[in-house]
Amino acid sequence: MKTWQTAVERNRYYDSVFLMAVAHRLSDLEGIEEAAAVMGSPANKEILLGMGVDAASVADASPSDLIIALRGGQETAAGVLQDIEVWLVRPKTALAAATAGSLDEALLRQASSNLAVISVPGEYAAAETEAALDRGMNVFLFSDHVSVEDEVALKKKASEQGLIVMGPDCGTALIGGKGIGFANVVRRGPIGVVAASGTGLQEFTCLVHQSGSGISHGLGTGGRDLSDSVGGLSTLAAIDALEEDPETKVIAIVSKPPGETTLRLISDRLSQCAKPVVACFLGVGASPIEQARFEVCGTIDDAVSAALRLAGRQGRKAEGHDHAQLKALAHDEAGRMAIGQTYVRGLFAGGTFCYQSQSVLRDAGLTLHSNAPLGGVESLRDSAASVGHSLVDMGADEFTVGTPHPMIDATQRAKRIAVEAEDPDVAVLLLDFILGFNSSKDPAGDLADAITSARRTAEAAGRHLCIVASICGTDEDPQGLESQMEVLRDAGAHVFESNVKASSFARDVILQRTNGGE
Amino acid sequence: MPKLLDLLREGPISINLGLVEFAEALETQKTQVMHVDWTPPPLLDEDTKNILDELL
Repeated sequence: MKTWQTAVERNRYYDSVFLMAVAHRLSDLEGIEEAAAVMGSPANKEILLGMGVDAASVADASPSDLIIALRGGQETAAGVLQDIEVWLVRPKTALAAATAGSLDEALLRQASSNLAVISVPGEYAAAETEAALDRGMNVFLFSDHVSVEDEVALKKKASEQGLIVMGPDCGTALIGGKGIGFANVVRRGPIGVVAASGTGLQEFTCLVHQSGSGISHGLGTGGRDLSDSVGGLSTLAAIDALEEDPETKVIAIVSKPPGETTLRLISDRLSQCAKPVVACFLGVGASPIEQARFEVCGTIDDAVSAALRLAGRQGRKAEGHDHAQLKALAHDEAGRMAIGQTYVRGLFAGGTFCYQSQSVLRDAGLTLHSNAPLGGVESLRDSAASVGHSLVDMGADEFTVGTPHPMIDATQRAKRIAVEAEDPDVAVLLLDFILGFNSSKDPAGDLADAITSARRTAEAAGRHLCIVASICGTDEDPQGLESQMEVLRDAGAHVFESNVKASSFARDVILQRTNGGE
Repeated sequence: MPKLLDLLREGPISINLGLVEFAEALETQKTQVMHVDWTPPPLLDEDTKNILDELL
């Protein structure tokens, strides 16, 4: 039996993104079956023990120590560990500006700083956030694994000082046209947006941009902000600021399902807002907010249309997707399938897209399963094994412990696509692709081969697999929206400019398969 | 005036602690950013921690 071999490098700190890339490259080596490269925090050591690493070999490692663990041929693993320095050479940073050794040194050298962007490991994130707030800075907190108690305390502290904590687990923000974290290149304009969902904010801002209008500011709040335990502290701060901001003419709010009490609180605040407001609380019916004095939309696409209208902007008509043509295409796709092909399988990089697709398909009467279920959707017992109609958030914790998020690395989604393609019951694969800063440099290219192979697998078994994709991005993103669409089309996917449109097409194909489109 | 409004008015002038890629993306967008070479604070025993707390 192949056992784990480990090496502990004292006082060698590397960030998790770099270490995940190291582990990925090591696991590709011949003779290595599994590899891990992590800092020696208690949480990471726990994960290693769960993988079967000998506890004694990492017991002494501190959070400042690097642990490399390899499972494979004894000689191969020992050889790699002997030469580990080769694998720890960082690519030269593209950063031109000088760097500082501490927050205080950075503040001395850049006294006008008004935002701390924090992505340190979760166990240190609250302390660094508090230090930034104490120095009068707003915070964009990308780090996750911050306790709810810390989140509430930090947000209250921020609020007392007229500051905001965007996060924890905040993926994106757009401030004055500049993207923070995973953000797209979006022109400035009259619509301000607050979002407790990273990919929701990206989708909203991209669709506004692609409609020809623009965004004043997009403020992320972290996915937990609208839970009843946090009570929307950052959302309220963001609404106050956008209401005051002269550039913002219309305010939009996008969120995964909020807590019941917080939903009422935010609705009351929005009803008092001096500016026109559009809200999209995904998965929430109109009833809890039926008294609201603002527009309530069920999807991000509808929220974008409403915001454009309220801002006095006419959205550009989307190209190439005539309703009747799509119905005919769905009918045609369904007609090419073999008996038994019935189910949709959604594999998402964006958590919000997984929610929104559930909403579209659930409302069509389909019985769904998900690892991140909306109300009325069954919980998927094992995230790694689809059942019936399954929509899987592959950015969820169970997929991203020790491995990169699917917005950065497509390896896990590629493997899952291959598994779903083998299933004779699968009719439609529904995928999302997210462009912008800090995402993969080529999200479509990363999965193009997997899509082509999936179609061929199905064809070889006498089936036709319908692949439906949405791209969240703009024509100014570094990856290039049109060229990414082209790559997916060449691979045989039907490509849509929004997740709602892709989900609606998937729904139409599935309904054709189950009841002839009724 | 809330400092959040200052941020919206002036645009981000950032200090980046953690992933260098975030600082690189900000620099690509021609915004002012100072990256901190962040490392975890040293582990201190309880006595040293208490002494430091008293001093600070």
